[in-house]
Amino acid sequence: MARMKFVCDAERCIECNGCVTACKNENEVPWGVNRRRVVTLNDGVPGEKSISVACMHCSDAPCMAVCPVNCFYRTDEGVVLHDKDVCIGCGYCSYACPFGAPQFPAQGTFGVRGKMDKCTFCAGGPEVNGSQAEFEKYGRNRLAEGKLPACAEMCSTKALLAGDGDVVADIFRNRVVQRGKGAEVWGWGTAYGSRQAGQPPAGAKS
Amino acid sequence: QAPASPPAAAGAVTQQPAAPASPAAGGIQSQNIFEVKPDASADPNYAKQSNGERARVQPGNNAPMWRDVGAGVTGYTSLPKSEAPEAGNLIQPFVQYPGSRLTNAGEAWRQVRNNWIIPYGGSLFLIVLLAIAIFYFSKGSIKTHGADTGRKIERFTPFERAAHWSNAIAFSILAISGLVMAFGKFFLLPFMGSTLFGWLTYVLKTAHNFAGPLFAVSLVIVFFTFLRDNWPQKGDVNWLLKGGGLLGGAEPASNRFNAGEKLIFWGGVFFLGIVVVSSGFVLDKLLPGLVYERATMQIAHMVHAVATVLMMCMFLGHIYLGTIGMQGAYKAMRSGYVDEAWAREHHAYWYEDVKAGRVPAQRSEPAPPSQTVQV
Amino acid sequence: MLLTKKSQGIHTDPARRAGSARFVQSLSRGLSSALPTMDRRAFLRRSGLGVGVGLAATQLTLVKKAGAASPATGDGSGKIEVRRTVCSHCSVGCAVDAVVENGVWVRQEPVFDSPINLGAHCAKGAALREHGHGEFRLRYPMKLVNGKYERISWDTALNEISAKMLELRKASGPDSVYVVGSSKHNNEQAYLLRKWMSFWGSNNCDHQARICHSTTVAGVANTWGYGAMTNSYNDMQNSKCALYIGSNAAEAHPVSMLHMLHAKETGCKMIVVDPRFTRTAAKADEYVRIRSGSDIPFLFGVLYHIFKNGWEDSKYINDRVYGMDKVKADVMAKWTPDKVLEACGVDEATTLKVATMMSQNRPSTIVWCMGQTQHTTGNAIVRASCILQLALGNVGVSGGGANIFRGHDNVQGATDVGPNPDSLPGYYGLAEGSWRHFAKTWGVDFDWIKGRYASAAMMGKPGITVSRWIDGVMEKNELIDQDSNLRAVVFWGHAPNSQTRGLEMKRAMDKLDLLVVIDPYPSATAAMAAMPGKAEDLNANRAVYLLPAATQFETSGSVTASNRSLQWREKVIEPLWESRSDHMIMHQLAEKFGFAKELSKNYKMQKVKGMDEPVPEDILREINKCMWTIGYTGQSPERLKAHMRNMHLFDVKTLRAKPGKDKETGYDVTGDYFGLPWPCWGNPELKHPGSPNLYDTSKHVMDGGGNFRANFGVEKDGVNLLAEDGSYSKGADITTGYPEFDHVLVKKLGWWDELTDAEKTAAEGKNWKTDSSGGMIRIIMKNHGCHPFGNAKARAVVWNFPDAIPQHREPIYGIRPDLVAKYPTHNDIKTFWRLPTLYKTLQDKNVADKVELKYPLILTSGRLVEYEGGGEETRSNPWLAELQQEAFVEVNPKTASERGISNGGRVWLSTPTGARLNVQALVTERVGADTVWMPFHFSGHWQGADMLAYYPNGAAPVVRGEAVNTGTTYGYDSVTMMQETKTTICNLEKA
Ligand SMILES: Nc1nc2c(c(=O)[nH]1)N[C@H]1C(S)=C(S)[C@@H](COP(=O)(O)OP(=O)(O)OC[C@H]3O[C@@H](n4cnc5c(=O)[nH]c(N)nc54)[C@H](O)[C@@H]3O)O[C@H]1N2
Ligand SMILES: Nc1nc2c(c(=O)[nH]1)N[C@H]1C(S)=C(S)[C@@H](COP(=O)(O)OP(=O)(O)OC[C@H]3O[C@@H](n4cnc5c(=O)[nH]c(N)nc54)[C@H](O)[C@@H]3O)O[C@H]1N2
Ligand code: HEM
Ligand code: HEM
Ligand code: SF4
Ligand code: SF4
Ligand code: SF4
Ligand code: SF4
Ligand code: SF4
Ligand SMILES: [Mo]
Repeated sequence: MARMKFVCDAERCIECNGCVTACKNENEVPWGVNRRRVVTLNDGVPGEKSISVACMHCSDAPCMAVCPVNCFYRTDEGVVLHDKDVCIGCGYCSYACPFGAPQFPAQGTFGVRGKMDKCTFCAGGPEVNGSQAEFEKYGRNRLAEGKLPACAEMCSTKALLAGDGDVVADIFRNRVVQRGKGAEVWGWGTAYGSRQAGQPPAGAKS
Repeated sequence: QAPASPPAAAGAVTQQPAAPASPAAGGIQSQNIFEVKPDASADPNYAKQSNGERARVQPGNNAPMWRDVGAGVTGYTSLPKSEAPEAGNLIQPFVQYPGSRLTNAGEAWRQVRNNWIIPYGGSLFLIVLLAIAIFYFSKGSIKTHGADTGRKIERFTPFERAAHWSNAIAFSILAISGLVMAFGKFFLLPFMGSTLFGWLTYVLKTAHNFAGPLFAVSLVIVFFTFLRDNWPQKGDVNWLLKGGGLLGGAEPASNRFNAGEKLIFWGGVFFLGIVVVSSGFVLDKLLPGLVYERATMQIAHMVHAVATVLMMCMFLGHIYLGTIGMQGAYKAMRSGYVDEAWAREHHAYWYEDVKAGRVPAQRSEPAPPSQTVQV
Repeated sequence: MLLTKKSQGIHTDPARRAGSARFVQSLSRGLSSALPTMDRRAFLRRSGLGVGVGLAATQLTLVKKAGAASPATGDGSGKIEVRRTVCSHCSVGCAVDAVVENGVWVRQEPVFDSPINLGAHCAKGAALREHGHGEFRLRYPMKLVNGKYERISWDTALNEISAKMLELRKASGPDSVYVVGSSKHNNEQAYLLRKWMSFWGSNNCDHQARICHSTTVAGVANTWGYGAMTNSYNDMQNSKCALYIGSNAAEAHPVSMLHMLHAKETGCKMIVVDPRFTRTAAKADEYVRIRSGSDIPFLFGVLYHIFKNGWEDSKYINDRVYGMDKVKADVMAKWTPDKVLEACGVDEATTLKVATMMSQNRPSTIVWCMGQTQHTTGNAIVRASCILQLALGNVGVSGGGANIFRGHDNVQGATDVGPNPDSLPGYYGLAEGSWRHFAKTWGVDFDWIKGRYASAAMMGKPGITVSRWIDGVMEKNELIDQDSNLRAVVFWGHAPNSQTRGLEMKRAMDKLDLLVVIDPYPSATAAMAAMPGKAEDLNANRAVYLLPAATQFETSGSVTASNRSLQWREKVIEPLWESRSDHMIMHQLAEKFGFAKELSKNYKMQKVKGMDEPVPEDILREINKCMWTIGYTGQSPERLKAHMRNMHLFDVKTLRAKPGKDKETGYDVTGDYFGLPWPCWGNPELKHPGSPNLYDTSKHVMDGGGNFRANFGVEKDGVNLLAEDGSYSKGADITTGYPEFDHVLVKKLGWWDELTDAEKTAAEGKNWKTDSSGGMIRIIMKNHGCHPFGNAKARAVVWNFPDAIPQHREPIYGIRPDLVAKYPTHNDIKTFWRLPTLYKTLQDKNVADKVELKYPLILTSGRLVEYEGGGEETRSNPWLAELQQEAFVEVNPKTASERGISNGGRVWLSTPTGARLNVQALVTERVGADTVWMPFHFSGHWQGADMLAYYPNGAAPVVRGEAVNTGTTYGYDSVTMMQETKTTICNLEKA
């Protein structure tokens, strides 16, 4: 079975926020909940690079491990989803997630955050595929429709790739070979456990 | 799960393959970072280069930036700080919490919670529970030996009792809900199923979040109410040395509160109370002016969890003694009055003080007429 | 115990689903997952089964029910349709599939087949569906009564507006009315508005192109023929080096970067020249910071090295360029490295590097946009860019060209066929011959149109420009070149905060007799008009009306992207609320004015919400019938629609169609270029494929090839202006230069008899531009491989412009009085587009006043990717608004620390107009220490005060902020009246 992964190509991402609004649009995510966001490093100086980040659907997902009610589950395609009927909004997943993916609709005073929301890889949730209930709670289930995440499909420069990890890696590898540079796959080390960027600073390549 | 096979990857629709880069004359040469040129890295300031400087000598080598990312540096995001204070962090910085590896903060926190607090905290709690059970079943509860005299001493005024019980109720709510949050998925979830368990936990968690501040307030009142009689007094050392009588022999004489109670007061109510309440307030996002970043929350959580486990263990003992562990104790806190016999037996010095009139036997107004004690 | 899908049984049975409460469902689900009898695998299997069955149905299961936002829907059939449309936010022209259920726009899908965007979108395109909600739009007509907007009916609105306009017409003549048209209109609407204006009897109409690329259009057209992007975004994949100067494509044309970044991966070098280190610069191999307004010193500094090293393409220059020798002499004398360094701050090594990169990596292309155009010298700057490309022999070459990124989605089309004050559609001038050509096309009498105008003279006199309408209102009557001052202004798809001198605009608005705003989001203008101003400015009789226009998703029509490709938008939804399409409103107002019959003579009517609306296809057919000059004649609605349906056939790099037929109509698209990029010559039957790259001699004219246009005579001062012998487009019968064709030349060449008899009748006495049969074009191109517009040289020297050879001149408001002494601006012009226009007196006054001491910072402005134009539309879109919640100014850390300004803190930005803007500071090295930068998309705050109270109820955008143009200053291009928005001055202080 395909193992779904994201790659954001920092040599291509232009911080256009297309992916972000695509997600808002497709999943009708409310104001304040940012399933995906774009971060620019070295903003405004030479060396500036942008990266779009959402839930990486980690192999050994920290969010899943700390959830007090075990409301996370992993699909056969490696997508990490959760059940909002069970979620208690404790926020632990957001403490644990390396990428800041889990989002909450409320500010959290008295610990009232509402149910956690995060990127579903456009794979909906535990409700019936394509049902109204699924859409209202989790957004679209594009995977079930045979489509891929809206954010990646609409990315303005195809910096953001999503899909079967092998295919995605192939596309990316091709690009790296073509341009002969920019080989780092952002976040893969942290999310999927290979020795890549995101390892302790001491071990980082220089 | 989704049976349709989705197109392999969104990126697959990008572009037709293009001819490999031909090194064009006069332009900048591309550079494969895996073949770092020695002359560039021979620069003594190589390691200190910014990403822009690095790009000059080794285009495409973004290592300085990735290093920053790993260090949790905050980048730019158009989302306002007020709404999403940490949106600029791609990845949480690397830290090493006590008990974790050096890894990104989220993972480190997970390791502390899941590898230490949950298993060891849970075990400690179970051990204490078990110890008390064994104690109870082997020794039974501490009986009052002498017969009741019928003469009552007012041990706790209505105010003291009100303070204590509101505190105790809040504590119970907090402890039960906290326990379910921390350990429920091991002992409740398998029986209840996730939906029911989710609801239950949701209710409890909400109760916890609101009971916390209540507890904090009542704790302060309790602290000041009982402060006067919890200062160290003569006899405390003796009481401790003799283990409160548990190490054999008769129960040593004590003041209004014995040294054990005082330990709980200072260790549990005062010290752990401060820790639990302050960390709880952080977790509840109730302290104004504080920026509730994940690092803050992780630390607060670890402190809270450790302190609450200790506190629960301590108060398990207290509650045991306050209920089934010692005859008459519970009645004292419920009705406010103890029999002179009980007082003499468990708090001899205090009894003497009352008898000597140094402490009034009836402190609250109006005194119940029938029980007025004349000396 | 992990579950992946909730138990199927409960959900698949709709009856039970509706009947049982959610609690019960959830409970049983919880229990079922706890039952020891069902293990996880069994659970999975069970749910998986159901999913498999349900899948066929879920392929397009659109569960969103018809929302309340749509008043005009709900037949209950649940019909799902996919309508192909085009993003309305910039000139890239990204295609979008809108999924509509029950008349409600429920989803949007990327169009991977589009050769332009391959499914890609920036933030605005990806948020397009918000247009289907229209939550913050104006819902019904409104009128300003006692400072508050009140709802009125359409009938009342149309009656009152038309009555008032007729009254003004009677009292002050047709020229007392000014119509600000729109580049947001589709081609049909833009064209109809120019026609409408002609029937009203005035040339006082304009649109965004004036303040956008007017300098480009004038400068470039006068250099080589057409004022348009020569190549395409796609063609940039063939470039070896790209120089972006004054373009921030990563934010303004994000999807164009898809092609550029791909080119980079295959070895293309990228250079960015900008006062600001933009997000585009972040992707460049080389970034050069220049002082705003100093592009000519830089470009000529580069050219200096090219000439010095002999890197120019001598053969190309000899064959195809006029006047390069004169330019060379000028450049070598004036733009030595020391002078370049002094004027733009770039050293010799850098200009040499850029010259080397551009010369050694040919074909190299140049990209420019607002950084070049919005200056008093805009027309000269863009010509300097052309000259650089001509010197390198890059024009008319795939991978080369002048890739001028246009602005609004249809600014190219609106410029080509829309409401321009100095021309009729298709750049036909205002001469009688053009009028007669159109009178014939429109089927009306020339004299009737003439009678509509104040006089024959006014008919031939270019109108006031949108950049100056405020002066049309405020200027002393005796100084203006028309009878009356402007008394009525109609904003028909244009924001107010996009024009400079906001403080004066407020006064002008108050002085008007009538202000009409026809827009889906008229609120910025509305709020500005309703906001109390100075009592003495207010015209007591002023009437203000707001009319809700439909968006481009509520109508159909064609739109021209920057690369000159036309795309057809299908109607996605019916007009929301009470809104009406612009062409319907034009028709209805024409009814009131009594010229509806003439206006819509050639159009069938269709019913929309029960009312008559001219059929867009018919309007396009009328365009096809007359727009010979620029080849808008081959793009019939049928061909365009076939392209939209068969996008998959077009190659991404060449834009050319692989063999294939449209299933619906049988039309053979083989060989067409996508969207039939104009010029698409002759009748649709000629099947000209469109021109992917202009002036490309390597292709046959019937394959989209061409050469430079003969538009300026055959010789100048004894020098040949036609192409030299041997320079001609592939396969042409004439292998020398030749002038444009008319009946005389055709007869002389002996080609006349190739025309049919009918064609001969139509062509007799005509030239190729006015031959309504298209016959001449057919035989010239098809039979003889020649270009109807001739084969000439491009002009490096444009002798009819104020600076025949581009000269650097300092902006009117600047911080370098030392340079003003060396590079002074133009002399004042007494009447220029009907208005007196200041240059030197104002610049001298500024130098004398030492404004640079009080306002020591250069203020420039530009775009954010999330917002568009004045921004009222995009700031009303919550998905976008969330991403940019504050108006800000970018300040260099040094400048900030000198003023005690901290990142995120509030500052007062003051300008010489006296305006004071309260904005947030973004401290960044993106800008140099002498420059600050502001996005111009904000409005709704006025010098520190929130204007919310003045908005029509419910129609205020989600995000409001200070508009930079409240504070921008005077200054206009010496050819086109482009406003000087990219260079003015200001000061900052901590608020
Ligand atoms: N997101 C978004 N996209 C848009 C639009 C929008 O509003 N929002 N509008 C569309 C429209 S109408 C247009 S016209 C285009 C405009 O597209 P662009 O022109 O690319 O955008 P701007 O940001 O206005 O200006 C480009 C750059 O010019 C620089 N600049 C300023 N002064 C000078 C100068 O003197 N010389 C040089 N070389 N550069 C200078 C500015 O720093 C800025 O980075 O964008 C279109 N696309
Ligand atoms: N300081 C500064 N000023 C600038 C610029 C700059 O860079 N700096 N750039 C200039 C440039 S290049 C441009 S193009 C202008 C852009 O400025 P404008 O074009 O004035 O800005 P928009 O907000 O895009 O205005 C378009 C209006 O049309 C409306 N509209 C959209 N669709 C339709 C429709 O179908 N029908 C009708 N009737 N209305 C519709 C929208 O709601 C909106 O109100 O700003 C110019 N001003
Ligand atoms: C004596 C009292 C308390 C006990 C025994 C207790 C116990 C616990 C426990 C066991 C947890 C769960 C930790 C985990 O799952 O890892 C927890 C979490 C929490 N506690 Fe307490 N706690 C007490 C007091 C308080 C107080 C006084 C406050 C607030 C003022 C508070 C606020 C919280 C919050 C906010 C959480 C995080 C969970 C959530 O947000 O729902 N607690 N507590
Ligand atoms: C449900 C649980 C509890 C029960 C059944 C209980 C019972 C009692 C009883 C019976 C006494 C009287 C002991 C005596 O007469 O010496 C007492 C005293 C006291 N209890 Fe509790 N208690 C409970 C929870 C708590 C909690 C949560 C706190 C504070 C955090 C607390 C603080 C005190 C204090 C301060 C005293 C006075 C003795 C001293 O200062 O040591 N109790 N409790
Ligand atoms: S990215 Fe965060 S939320 Fe997503 S799977 Fe990993 S840990 Fe969980
Ligand atoms: S917020 Fe919800 S999903 Fe996240 S850990 Fe808590 S219960 Fe689990
Ligand atoms: S995969 Fe879907 S849910 Fe996740 S960020 Fe992309 S669009 Fe949003
Ligand atoms: S859409 Fe693509 S290029 Fe734009 S911000 Fe997202 S990842 Fe980057
Ligand atoms: S704004 Fe321009 S680049 Fe962005 S989606 Fe629309 S057309 Fe494409
Ligand atoms: Mo523009």
